[in-house]
Amino acid sequence: MRLFLGQRAWVLQRVTALVLLILLALGAATLLTGPSRSYEGWHALATSTHGAVLIVVFFAALCLHGWIGVRDIVLDYIHAPALRLPLLALIAVILFAIFIRVVLTMAAHFAGGA
Amino acid sequence: MRVSIYRFNPETDAKPRMQDYDVAPEAGDKKLLDVLMRLKTMDDSLSFRRSCREGVCGSDAMNINGRNGLACLTSLPGLKEPVVLRPLPGFPVIRDLIVDMTQFFAHYHSIKPYLINNEVPPERERLQSPAEREKLNGLYECILCACCSAFCPSFWWNPDKFIGPAGLLQAYRFIADSRDTATAARLAYLDDVYRLYRCRTIMNCTEVCPKGLSPSHAIERIRLALVRESS
Amino acid sequence: MRARSASAPKFMNLSQIRFPVGAIASIGHRVSGVLLLVSLPLLALALDRSLRSESEFEALRDLVSEPWRALLLVILVWAAAHHVLAGVRHLLMDIGVGSRLSQARTSAWAAILAAGIIALAAAVRWLS
Repeated sequence: MRLFLGQRAWVLQRVTALVLLILLALGAATLLTGPSRSYEGWHALATSTHGAVLIVVFFAALCLHGWIGVRDIVLDYIHAPALRLPLLALIAVILFAIFIRVVLTMAAHFAGGA
Repeated sequence: MRVSIYRFNPETDAKPRMQDYDVAPEAGDKKLLDVLMRLKTMDDSLSFRRSCREGVCGSDAMNINGRNGLACLTSLPGLKEPVVLRPLPGFPVIRDLIVDMTQFFAHYHSIKPYLINNEVPPERERLQSPAEREKLNGLYECILCACCSAFCPSFWWNPDKFIGPAGLLQAYRFIADSRDTATAARLAYLDDVYRLYRCRTIMNCTEVCPKGLSPSHAIERIRLALVRESS
Repeated sequence: MRARSASAPKFMNLSQIRFPVGAIASIGHRVSGVLLLVSLPLLALALDRSLRSESEFEALRDLVSEPWRALLLVILVWAAAHHVLAGVRHLLMDIGVGSRLSQARTSAWAAILAAGIIALAAAVRWLS
């Protein structure tokens, strides 16, 4: 039954939106101005501890936010359970895989750049 | 004046069609409903609901030039011609402009649209301060015409599960009532991906409400009440 | 009655409905969200390549030299701009800021126009 409570998803959508907004503003400020316009600058920023953590948090929020949004779209337009459930599962798997891919990317470069 | 009307007779028509009428409004005709009444005398097969003809009963809701409204409150001057009249979008059509409101009212009844208070009643009425009464303004005036719910995309996609703006405005009318003691149960009932959270704040409901009410504002308050309830 | 309703027609032709500006901003929010989600794998890929080597990093910066890629990027810039602006509008309206109809209409127009202008600026910069 808890699966159908609506509030958690609604709150999470807003919390992830706020996280994304803050990180986007932060990212825009550093990427567009600072030394990270060059490869060395960007590499140093992204492989530093707080840079890597923020990038992972950004993608985590992005995947969660996207999941809630696409789930709403499926709930609105796709009603046949035989289509809806596999579709939701597929999207969840893809989003999770993207997130894992980002974590692996960051881990690889973090180890190399340390 | 040219009026183009959605016609469907379940006994003879396989599918709906549009029929054009030319009608000359007379001096006393002020509202679209006056023209419809005139058309009814020309063609008595034309079917639509109407009763009070002054925006209180809520029975002549229809889609007028692509927007939902009450025929009796729609002034003739300023109406773009041809005036295209269709039944409320998304509702099953019974005949011409008459739609089946069964589901709409089932949602209304599901939110328990009556005061719940099991405390011993006082000698006289349950009192309310002017400030508490003030909170019901903009809520109690709803006439259940369904203009809002029938203009809400979320309601179009899930009319069987989403309560819709009209039902949610009514739900908040009792949540906001100081005399009602079932607030927690009412909120718990609404905390559902379908019943309340299909709303995406499109605000089509508020755009078309013929009484100038704001169901989207009521929904906003319900969601905030739920956040307070759980924190 | 109910049996008849099941087979009854419904008027549900979206092209014959006059949508208010808020509905346009809202469907734009949904469409832009889908576009951004579809491009999410590309963003993850870009992140990976940008960290691999200087030449890969520079290659990403030169993406716009190819017109069809620049066009795709302009579309994504619109999607990001519209989604963020319409999203901020919704966040504010959720807490009661600008949720009156007149204000909501103005902010819907503002979000639609600003996203269009931002996309246009990107197009002028990358496509000319």
